[in-house]
Amino acid sequence: MSALTESVLGRRLVVVSGKGGTGKSTLSAALALGAARRGRRTLVCEVAARERVSELFGRPPSGTKIREILPNLSSVHIRPREALREYALMTLKYETLYKIAFENAAARYFLAAAPSLSEIVMLGKVWWHAAQEMERGRNRWDLVILDAPATGHGITFLTVPSVFLGLVNEGPLARDMRGMQELLADPARCSVCIATLPEEMPANEAIELDRALRKHGFPPGPVFLNACFDSRFSAAEVAAVTRGGPLLLAAGESADNHQSRAVLTAYYEKVLREAVPRDLFKVPFLFERTGFGPSSVEKIAASIGALP
Amino acid sequence: MNLSDVVRGRQVICCVGSGGVGKTTTSAAIALQAASEGKRTLVMTIDPARRLANSLGLKELGNEETRIDPQLLAAAGIGASARMSAMMLDLKHSWDELVKEQARTPEQAQRILDNRIYKSLSTAMAGSLEYIAMEKVYEVHASGRFDVVVLDTPPTSNALDFLHAADRILDVLDNNAFKILLAPMMKAGKFTMRLLAAPSGIVLKTLARFTGAAFLRDLSDFMLAFEGMYEGFKDRAGKVRALLKSQKAAFVLVTSPNPLTIQEALFFHRALLDDGIRTAAVVVNRVQRDPRRLGGPDNLAALREALVLAQIKDQDGLADRLCQTLTEQSSLADVDRREVARLRRELSGIPLFQVPRLRKDVHDLAGLWQIDGFLASGDGGE
Repeated sequence: MSALTESVLGRRLVVVSGKGGTGKSTLSAALALGAARRGRRTLVCEVAARERVSELFGRPPSGTKIREILPNLSSVHIRPREALREYALMTLKYETLYKIAFENAAARYFLAAAPSLSEIVMLGKVWWHAAQEMERGRNRWDLVILDAPATGHGITFLTVPSVFLGLVNEGPLARDMRGMQELLADPARCSVCIATLPEEMPANEAIELDRALRKHGFPPGPVFLNACFDSRFSAAEVAAVTRGGPLLLAAGESADNHQSRAVLTAYYEKVLREAVPRDLFKVPFLFERTGFGPSSVEKIAASIGALP
Repeated sequence: MNLSDVVRGRQVICCVGSGGVGKTTTSAAIALQAASEGKRTLVMTIDPARRLANSLGLKELGNEETRIDPQLLAAAGIGASARMSAMMLDLKHSWDELVKEQARTPEQAQRILDNRIYKSLSTAMAGSLEYIAMEKVYEVHASGRFDVVVLDTPPTSNALDFLHAADRILDVLDNNAFKILLAPMMKAGKFTMRLLAAPSGIVLKTLARFTGAAFLRDLSDFMLAFEGMYEGFKDRAGKVRALLKSQKAAFVLVTSPNPLTIQEALFFHRALLDDGIRTAAVVVNRVQRDPRRLGGPDNLAALREALVLAQIKDQDGLADRLCQTLTEQSSLADVDRREVARLRRELSGIPLFQVPRLRKDVHDLAGLWQIDGFLASGDGGE
């Protein structure tokens, strides 16, 4: 088994965290594809305002109902309102009771004031899929991948159970949050990965995120360094071509651009390897003229060794 | 027309857009430009990742306005008379200050500050970051200490969180429906489950089953503690809103040419419009420059010839590598051009400024000043 299959694909819950725009959704899709191809029944949970994973596979949006995208691979878009309703119904059992209690002006107020209730119910749903949902006497999902919100919100999101338990320690929500907290702290079942880019701010934020995640005791998964450029030219070649006269201006600028990004890639790879005590996987930059699609996900999955 | 013409005369400039598009850098560049024009300028960031601190070469930013060393400005080629300050908003601290200022007595303030609901409201609730940021912008603006305040908004993926933050917070501070439910307890001055009378009882008891009764107790304590302060908050929120909707404020939409961030930028634009706010300008960061604008050969045979003419040895497949790189970089430029064109169509009539992808990350004043050069080079309107 490769490092990746060992530390990520074999878990029950994998959280992909990172700053916005670092390729979390594509990475979630690639990990899911790898796991599904290995025969693991995999569910991707998206909690952002807009879902992306089904689209990456060239499929229509899944919406708030679980939809199968490929054999062994399903996705679901978790939204606070629907999650709350589903969750409350599960707890309260009676629709009428739910309506009386939740669908009134006072409850709207209550829901707005309750500490991070949206996050709680969304996380509660993720936990339910990962740990509770059964089918034919076994867990319905072998692996649940959570495409977490962007960094700032990401860590807040994962610490919601402990924040909530600090406020409330009775009732069904508290019980479930305790379950989630245990799952999120269990290195045998959970792995929290970081997606980042070979750029100053994303790299710094990945370092901060790593520290915060470890401080809170979330089992450290790998760092995925996305959009990497390989070194293609020597410095001497770039210098020669850029000074090569009018016919080579375009070629020279291209080579210089490429190589400067390769230098940044190497630099931030080094910085991250030194500062972050986790495995690091490099994901190549993809030149996709028509946007990211199923073949891009396939390439990314292959590049990190996720495919069997 | 350049960006500083577009925002000239505006005293509050809000840079909005999704995370990772260079919003902080753009905010700082806009502030630097205003400062270079002799305006007393403040750039405010609320991003906990200290990006602005990095961008400005500052070691630390607190909730205090920190003047940027004029020598640093001069060293970067910006007039030494420029007065620019920066600050990073400390969310909790700002909330506490607001409560202390609005409370009628120090005891009332303390009672609120100690309440657990208040603690979560001020640190974790959706929209609370946005609310306090706008509140702070208003306060700084009203103080008259600065001619221009540039706000780098939180990297929220949800425009609505931003625009409706005030309504949401105000609703929490004063909700009539809940007050009616809690009326018996409010009269008694404290919360007990025994006082719950039908029909409000069933609602509260059901909610309590969900979260536990302690939470409801905290909530009613919070509302009791807050009594009499609501009007002040509401008045203030109204003023903030009026400022943002006035001609004194400008919203600058920041994006990258990535289709997903463009989608989010358009979503933000429409949400602003629904609120009666017109986007003043769009800044597209990191646009790939097209190498083909420089002319020259772009196929393998011609590149080989060009290498011969330039007396460069075609070793280790240099021509092949150059050809592949040229093709890749051209395709990046094509994709970006297509996306920028789409954005321009969708936002026709709104000035759009492009900042090319630079060879290095921008994290110093000289880099910001270079960006100002691009923002001043005008809307290339196609």
